[in-house]
Amino acid sequence: MHQLPRTGRLHPFTVLVLAAAVVAITTAAGRWWLHTAVLAGCLLLAARAKRAGKLVRLGAVILVPAWGSHLLIHGLIDTGGGHVLAAAGPLRITTEGLVTAGQLGLRTGVLVVAGLLCSMLIDRHDLVAAVDLSSAPPQAGYLLAATLSLLPRLAQRQRAIGQAQALRGIPLAAGPRGWWRSVRLRSVPLVLSSVQDAADRSAYLAARGFPAKGAHTRLREVPDSPAQCWVRRVALGAMVLGPVALLAPTWVGQG
Amino acid sequence: MSQSLLLPENHTGPLLRRRFLAVAAVLLLAGTYTVLVLTHPAGLTDGLGQTVALATFAAYLAAALMLLAAVLPDLPVATLSLIPVALALNIVLGQFVGSVFIPLYLDSLGTVLVGFLAGRRAGAATGVLGTLIWSLFNPTVLPFAAGAALVGFLAGTAARFGALRRPYLAPIAGLGAGVLVGVASAPVATFVFGGTSGVGTGAVVAAFRSMGDSLLSAVTKQALISDPGDKAIVFLLAALLIYALPARLNGGFAFVRRHRVLGSRGSR
Repeated sequence: MHQLPRTGRLHPFTVLVLAAAVVAITTAAGRWWLHTAVLAGCLLLAARAKRAGKLVRLGAVILVPAWGSHLLIHGLIDTGGGHVLAAAGPLRITTEGLVTAGQLGLRTGVLVVAGLLCSMLIDRHDLVAAVDLSSAPPQAGYLLAATLSLLPRLAQRQRAIGQAQALRGIPLAAGPRGWWRSVRLRSVPLVLSSVQDAADRSAYLAARGFPAKGAHTRLREVPDSPAQCWVRRVALGAMVLGPVALLAPTWVGQG
Repeated sequence: MSQSLLLPENHTGPLLRRRFLAVAAVLLLAGTYTVLVLTHPAGLTDGLGQTVALATFAAYLAAALMLLAAVLPDLPVATLSLIPVALALNIVLGQFVGSVFIPLYLDSLGTVLVGFLAGRRAGAATGVLGTLIWSLFNPTVLPFAAGAALVGFLAGTAARFGALRRPYLAPIAGLGAGVLVGVASAPVATFVFGGTSGVGTGAVVAAFRSMGDSLLSAVTKQALISDPGDKAIVFLLAALLIYALPARLNGGFAFVRRHRVLGSRGSR
């Protein structure tokens, strides 16, 4: 049976606003120890929700290429730094360049790990319900719900199309021609059937007066409390005022 | 009686507010881009660099959300039911293409399809929504929402002015769109992430840097190498897929009928 994460009693917006505030303040502070502490805190929270392995795997898929790019751009070819560690041809490795690459890597790391943790801890049905109950246009909730439910169905349909094409015994050639043939054989039936489904669905939606206006009853209740409302307000304030308070002295110094 | 069966209500207040939002979003985007290009901030990790990173992230994301808020309430039901399909296609086809080791993204195919079939506003909304939903799986795409909106907007604009009436016009329009999207997205990659998110693209940026280019200039040149080709192929693929659709499906979209998007093909 699917086990709910331990933040199941938090409103999705509370989790999102807290994460946004943490990312904004950490980026503004720009201290390596704060970045490291936030990363460790995220891993700890993920471990409590029994999702640490997944967080590390998904984070690595995004972060390893990004860190490689930072290392190439700033670490190996630094044009500004004075402390040269090695230089050969276009390569110029400096202490300043490596520090910049490390700081940018940590900044990106906090954004990725905090964002992924949010998406792991938030129940997607709660998120859809929260968007629906918020002051966002009613279309936004429908689009979020429809996309999240369509994704696995379309992936399944694409696999079925691939199996059907294989059963037809269509050989796939190597190289660009084989790639093009493969894309065509899979995407044309997928897009045709999906657009047909969308056309059918739109008639039913229009017949039911979509988008509904005014208050309507929802069967799903989103966990919330006055304390969480207060936390969200404080986090929103911190997200805006925290970076300003941290960075204002540097603006004065540069002015 | 269903709301959507009634004639449109003549309320100018919300319409004006939405137009104001759209104009404010475009101004915010253009203003941020202009300031970044003109001032060309040098530091990335000092106080100024952190300010620029946060301000760029916030401005690009806010502009995308304002565009979405301006456009979404106006979209007809036929378009709203197509958008989730397009968003899912972006992800499913993007993953499939990525899994066959071809160095293309093709992750905006659904956005371009919506732009071609339902117009530039629907395309822009699809771009923003697609980025917001994709950010649940990869948070680094979040500040690129405005760039994704631009892809959908330009696809709709190209279709409106006849890019689908001849098959060879679609990739040409894609090339132009790729140049604009690459130029518009380069400041985000530069000032928010300090470069690019992939080793291959990072190597290209590093090569330009070693020739003496500034970081913004190097990232812009890299984007001008990658994006036009990718968008040309996406526009061509989207056009071919639309040609393969039955006329009754294409004709179901008011945008296609009103602007004769498919020219003589649409009347077959």
